[in-house]
Amino acid sequence: MIMLEHQRNWAQQLVAASAAELSAVQPDCVSAARAAALQALTTLPLLDRKQEAWRYTRIDSLLEHHFLPAAAAPAVPASVLNGCLLPAFDAWRLVFANGRFMPWMSDLHDLPAGVQLCSLREALTTNPEQLSKWFGQALQHDGHVFTALNTALVNDGVYLNIENGVELERPIEVIYFNQCGAVPLLLQPRNLVILEPAARATLIERFISPDESLYFHNNLSEIVLGAGAALNHHRVLDESRSAYHLGSLNLSQQQHSRYHGTSLAFGGRWTRTEYNTSFRQQGAECLLHGLYTVGDQQLNDIHLDVRHTVPGCTSREQFKGVLYGKGRAVFDGRILVEKQAQRSDASLTNDNLVLSRDAEIDTKPQLEIHADDVRCSHGTTVGQLDPQQLFYLRSRGIDLITAGKMLCQGFAGDILDAIEVPVLRKLADSRLVEILGAATVAAE
Amino acid sequence: MLAISNLHVAIEDKPVLRGLDLNTGAGEVHAIMGPNGSGKSTLAHVLAGREGYQVTKGEVLFEGADLLVLEPEQRAHKGIFLGMQYPVELPGVNNMIFMRESVNAVRRARGEPALDAVTFLRRVREQAGLLELDETLLKRNVNAGFSGGEKKRNEILQMAMLEPKLAILDETDSGLDIDALRVIAGGVNALRSPQRSILLITHYQRLLEYIQPDYVHVLLEGRIVRSGDWQLALQLEEKGYGWITGEAAA
Repeated sequence: MIMLEHQRNWAQQLVAASAAELSAVQPDCVSAARAAALQALTTLPLLDRKQEAWRYTRIDSLLEHHFLPAAAAPAVPASVLNGCLLPAFDAWRLVFANGRFMPWMSDLHDLPAGVQLCSLREALTTNPEQLSKWFGQALQHDGHVFTALNTALVNDGVYLNIENGVELERPIEVIYFNQCGAVPLLLQPRNLVILEPAARATLIERFISPDESLYFHNNLSEIVLGAGAALNHHRVLDESRSAYHLGSLNLSQQQHSRYHGTSLAFGGRWTRTEYNTSFRQQGAECLLHGLYTVGDQQLNDIHLDVRHTVPGCTSREQFKGVLYGKGRAVFDGRILVEKQAQRSDASLTNDNLVLSRDAEIDTKPQLEIHADDVRCSHGTTVGQLDPQQLFYLRSRGIDLITAGKMLCQGFAGDILDAIEVPVLRKLADSRLVEILGAATVAAE
Repeated sequence: MLAISNLHVAIEDKPVLRGLDLNTGAGEVHAIMGPNGSGKSTLAHVLAGREGYQVTKGEVLFEGADLLVLEPEQRAHKGIFLGMQYPVELPGVNNMIFMRESVNAVRRARGEPALDAVTFLRRVREQAGLLELDETLLKRNVNAGFSGGEKKRNEILQMAMLEPKLAILDETDSGLDIDALRVIAGGVNALRSPQRSILLITHYQRLLEYIQPDYVHVLLEGRIVRSGDWQLALQLEEKGYGWITGEAAA
């Protein structure tokens, strides 16, 4: 119980540390939401390992740190920031460095009519009506201490609104760059993405840290897709090996909308990604692809809550993991098909390649089906490199380490293939090769 | 080129090869025939360096040096190739990328420069054409969804690309129809050369109608009990292995 009480104190300390920053914020259209979340922090049930969603994911070490608000962050030199841009990548771009929006690094020129793309802070003054209409709408339930913390201190993030029928031809790239030296930062971007009916876009989020910076990146996105809207959403998590990262993605989908998410998690000490999907009308489709790699002192947790609440929707979830060293991963995938959600089509798979004795995976696909006319499947595998396949490659002159790398790349290939942006596919591939280099050497 | 003397091999402490002797010279084609369980595939795998086989006695020299101390990839670098009876599928590993990695790994180990993409592609296409291998298979994942015949053609294609000194073909004829057999035999014959030694491991005499060996050996219970020229294969076809078993017993 002492531990549990510690959670409240920890959250209160973070709020107190942000007090100065918060008091500087003028009352705005989300003030009420902030106040409600502040209140929730004192009443929400605390997290403990008896709860299924937190059973294999300890938060003890996260709660040991006293994180500071982004105001305490050191500035990041332009030359460093420039280094993280993808070469010749034509995209609209928002860059956040240590939590601060960097207009001069961003590229928001020539947005087509009907597209509002800016920092959330800017939208609070320029688009309060639209913002307050949608803010909090995609959150399905009260959430937990971390989502409440995000709302309680909401201050900045990404605001995207694409009007009816507008199709973006270039992708939007959001870069979160973190390099905070000895200052342990709390970073809490809050993103609101609204695609009105028949709008289409590709959104890329990249989380980058060049060193061993310690921070807690507690990001929350609300994504609202109108009828027939389509969003491709690619996330590459390459946080520092000391960082904590919690990404909460909350989807609300109308009729015949399509969400395709890919999530690649390479870095981080403690990384958790939560997808909460809610189909509001028939015929919507949600595809999630994910790849995670974990080595020594890394934990990656994928948590899916896909709710088929209306008839005739499709969800596909395919996640793969490569574990090496003392890496740990948790996969907790839940698909709920409610009684009225007839003709639901859902499939969920989680495959893991374990390269070492000391790695650990806890995988738990759950299908909860209350309707009778549905097509649902799930499956998980945990395996090692196949000695026959390794021998085949070696008998062709390929050394053991390269052979292992090739098989791992092959294993991960169909997830990477789901990335529809070539330059990002290439980036993911080369990061994977780098990581597998270290992983397969470690497995020797 | 290859000198095997008094080779004893066990699998999980169960003896399989029991004193096998075999010498092959450059430019020679040797056929090893024998019934199921006589140790044919064990011989092939031991030569290629597969794990799980315990050499309890004897030695294998390749070009005068101990072969058995080498890792599988090192044997490939020295010029040994094993065409497998059951080539495995490699999900997600592109056939072309795999072959290029393989060819260049062997070239690097020999101190030769890697083949550039254009030269490599030209050579692969040329060889695939000779083997009547559908070019779309080059773009697919290694052996994934290939038919039995396509897998074997893919093996011979790799052999052609790697230009080994010693090619061991383990039951390359199994599961092939007569047209595929003819094409594959053509591919093997095209690779016969005064510098190369070929070891054909087979159940049946059928393959030897297309690839005429210089020597035929009969493997029984882990030893070579009789050697001769290709006439021996004809006699086996006519009389069956029982003929030799009976004689060996007598």
